[in-house]
This record gives sequence, C-alpha cells and structure tokens, in this order.
Amino acid sequence: MMAEEWEPKIVLFACNWCSYGGSDAAGVARFQQPPTTRIIRVMCSGRIDPAFVLEAFLEGADAVCVTGCHIGDCHYINGNEKTKLRYSFLERVVKELGIEPERLRLEWISASEGEKFANFVKQVTEDVKKLGPSPLKPEGVQ
Amino acid sequence: MNMNVGECYLGWSTKDEVREKGASGGLVTSVLAAALEKGLVEKVLVLKKISEYDAEPIITDSVDEVLESAGSLHAVPVGLSKKLGLQLTRLGKKIATVGKPCDVRGMYEMALRDQINIDNTYIVGLNCGGTMPPILTRKMLREVYEIDPEEVVEEEIAKGELIFKTKDGKEIAKKIDELEEMGYGRRENCRYCFVKIPTNADLACGNWGVPKAKQGQATFVEVCSEKGIELLENAVNAGYIELESASEKNINARKKVEQAMIDLASKWREKLLPSIPDEERLSFYIKELENCIGCGACKTVCPVCACGDDSKCTTMTSELDNHKISLYHLIRFLHIMDSCVACGMCTDVCPAEIKISQLQARFSLPFQEEKEYVAGMTLEKPPFFEVR
Repeated sequence: MMAEEWEPKIVLFACNWCSYGGSDAAGVARFQQPPTTRIIRVMCSGRIDPAFVLEAFLEGADAVCVTGCHIGDCHYINGNEKTKLRYSFLERVVKELGIEPERLRLEWISASEGEKFANFVKQVTEDVKKLGPSPLKPEGVQ
Repeated sequence: MNMNVGECYLGWSTKDEVREKGASGGLVTSVLAAALEKGLVEKVLVLKKISEYDAEPIITDSVDEVLESAGSLHAVPVGLSKKLGLQLTRLGKKIATVGKPCDVRGMYEMALRDQINIDNTYIVGLNCGGTMPPILTRKMLREVYEIDPEEVVEEEIAKGELIFKTKDGKEIAKKIDELEEMGYGRRENCRYCFVKIPTNADLACGNWGVPKAKQGQATFVEVCSEKGIELLENAVNAGYIELESASEKNINARKKVEQAMIDLASKWREKLLPSIPDEERLSFYIKELENCIGCGACKTVCPVCACGDDSKCTTMTSELDNHKISLYHLIRFLHIMDSCVACGMCTDVCPAEIKISQLQARFSLPFQEEKEYVAGMTLEKPPFFEVR
C-alpha cells in the first residue's frame, strides 16, 4: 500500500467583499486548486487580529494566509491599511521565532480575480509542501 | 531668574539636613517639596525607604514625607510609572513625581494610551546608569564585599566603582565592570539600555557634569520643558534651592559620561542578546517560556499594557491549551513590540524566573529601530496606532 502524500492545512482569512468573492469566482470559473485551505470569512481584513493568526499557527496550521481588498478598495475606507500595518508586526514575530517566512502570506485579491486566488492557493500549497509540517503543530494534530 | 528650555544649572538645597541626606545636594527632594508646599501640585509620588534594598512608592501630600525621601537607592528597582494614583492626573489633579528614564518613558507610553494626563504630571527625571536587583546585591555584599548587607548605610556609584559604606565607617569600592563579569551588578536590561538621561522629563537631574569640588554637594539639572521652568522657579522663589548656571565645561563633562555609558551599553547588548541562528530560535523560545505558570504578573506591572483584565492575551489563552509555546507571551510580544520601554519590571516580578524583558527586547529593539521610533520619548503616536 502506498503512503498517502502529506497534505498541508492552510488557514486562509478572506474578507467578505473581495477575497471571499475571489474564491467564489475561482469556483464559478472552475479554476483548479488543491483542497488544502480552510477559509475563514471576515467582514474586513482589518478584523484579522494578529492574535488570530498566531493562534491558528499554535492550533496546527501549516501556513496562514491573510487576504483582503486591494489598497484603496477597502469597503471600510482604510481597513486593509490597518491590516498591512499589523502584518508588519506579525512578520517580525514570525521571523524572530524562526518560522519560515513562506508560512505567513499576505495577498490582495479582488472579487473578480478568481484565477489569481486559485494560483495563490496552488503556490502556497506547493511552498508549504516543500517545507513540511509546521514546527508549531501540537502533538497529535495532523 | 529668567529661564529657558534647554538651559543647564547646578543646584543644591538650602536646607542643611536635606543637603546632607541627598545623594547630590538634595535638589530633587527640595524641588518636589517646594512644589507641594506652594501648591504647584497637589500630591507627590516618591519612594519611601524601608531599607537599603527595599522601598515603597507612595503618593503623599505631606512635605515632611517628601523631605524624608532624600537619598538615592540603587538597589531598589521599583517601576513608578504604573503606580496607582497617577491616574488622578486624568481627573485634573496635579501630581509631581520622580522617575528614572524608563519610568518617564513608561509614563509617556501610558499617556499615549490615556492612562494618565501628562499635562498634569510634573516629572523630575533622574539620570540613571542602571539599578541593581536587591537579592543579588545582598548576595554580592556577603560574597564579594564580605560585609553584612544589613550593616550598609550608604551606597554610591562613582567613576565606574560601586562603593558601600558600613555602620562602622568602612568604605569598600569595587569596579562595576568586574562585578558584572561575575554576574553581579546592574540588572541585565539596564546594562543594554541606551536612554541614560531622561530628556523627555520636565527636569533631567543627576550628578554627571558636576565639577569635582562640588561632587556630592550639587546636582546638575537640565530644564527640558515649560513645566520644568515652573518647577525650578517655584523652588527658587520658595527659598528651597539655590542655582547657578552650568559652564560649558560641566555640560561637556556630562555629555562625555553619557556617551561612555551608551558605548558600554552597546557592548553589553551584543553580549546579553547574542543573535541565534534561525533554525534554533523556535526551540530557544520554547525552552525559555516552558516554565511559565500563567500568573500574569508581567502584564500587571507593564507600563505599556493598558488593556485591563479583559485583554486579548489573557482571554484568548487557557491553561488547557495544548500549544507548543505560550500564546499569551506571543500576543504580548507582538502587542508591545513597538512600545516596550525595556524597564525590566516583567523580569523582576516573574516567579518562574523567566527573563521576559530580555526576550521581549529581541523582538522590540530591532523593530523599533526599523520603525525609527524610540518608545516613550515623545507624544508622537506609536507605530501600532499609525493608521486611524
């Protein structure tokens, strides 16, 4: 019997207005993407507290993606600018902890960019597969 | 006397008793007492000495209690910025306080988070080369100085030497460098601290720059703000202190001492915070934090933390979590990364002896450099609040 290939688990935060629409567009247009993501829909990427991302890692995510509307397109004026600022804090923490930078991603994806969404998921999955399971994964979590 | 911001003076108390008791002429004590007596402020925050190794911060409205607090305490690393009572400044009460550079920086960070009102807080800053942990200091006295810690009546730092005077008049001096090589001396976070003169306070006082003839008899004071002018003028008019202008020579001497301290600090920073290879970092942090019992003391004393009891770092974590590394600490590392003033209180209070301040410094020092923000020096918004 052949051992099954390891599939990473990726937590992807998507904002309601753009990136979640983007994932929908990817489905409607039938762009293929690996089934590795667990999408969490939030009203705005500005709602994503850095603590959520850290908790996702500690609960066993192999990678965490933060996605939102393009800068200037936020439905709440400047929510994604706040995301960008907080992301710089997160980047520093993840780097200082010695976790590979490929495990934390930020991408602006609009509702019409279905192909971009699918490619992004493909790319992240490939990168994380090369790295293997996250060193922060708790014992007993697959 | 007509004063301007940025001017430097040499000053001393007119009261013999205070001048004797104070470490350098009793200027600070007198300024505070005068401010209280003349009604410039309603209350004063000072350290009430219990022993050479212990003191209690008190908020008082008695002039006598302020005068009693004269004298320096190097082995009492009490954080003053989060002292209960400073919040009264938000209700319009005027309070004068003393503070080491880190205390003052803590107060600024608290003001930025609406914990105190800086306009009603008169801060007399004290130059600081570092403070010493009390328990380790006692051990050092027994083992290196070979004297009974309870016998000590006075301690002093001069010319790189740590001097202790005992009841029977003995005076023993040892080089601080050598003591620190042996693991005694100043607290670790003091050794790599770069802010030695609190120019963010209203007055910056200390004995650096005082000429030899007046050593121990006068204080060098820099006026750093309008409130500082108020404090000094009030004390002069009340007859509590005498002032003379500091000469160019005095000012340069002070700068030289400060520069020497900063150079030493950068050496200690390399030594105490050595860089760790990427692949070993995670195991380093996991190991350092594994003894955490989750008491939350580090958060309670932190001058930057303003979330209160329902903070994310405590409500999002639980003792039942099966995490490899404490989420509580990760959130805290991130949350105060831009504003940590490196006062070291978290390390001091930790019952599990985790060097939290030193761990935090690994995150906050490079980050603050990157953002070009020195925490607690101005009332400029910290990076976390940049976007509104």
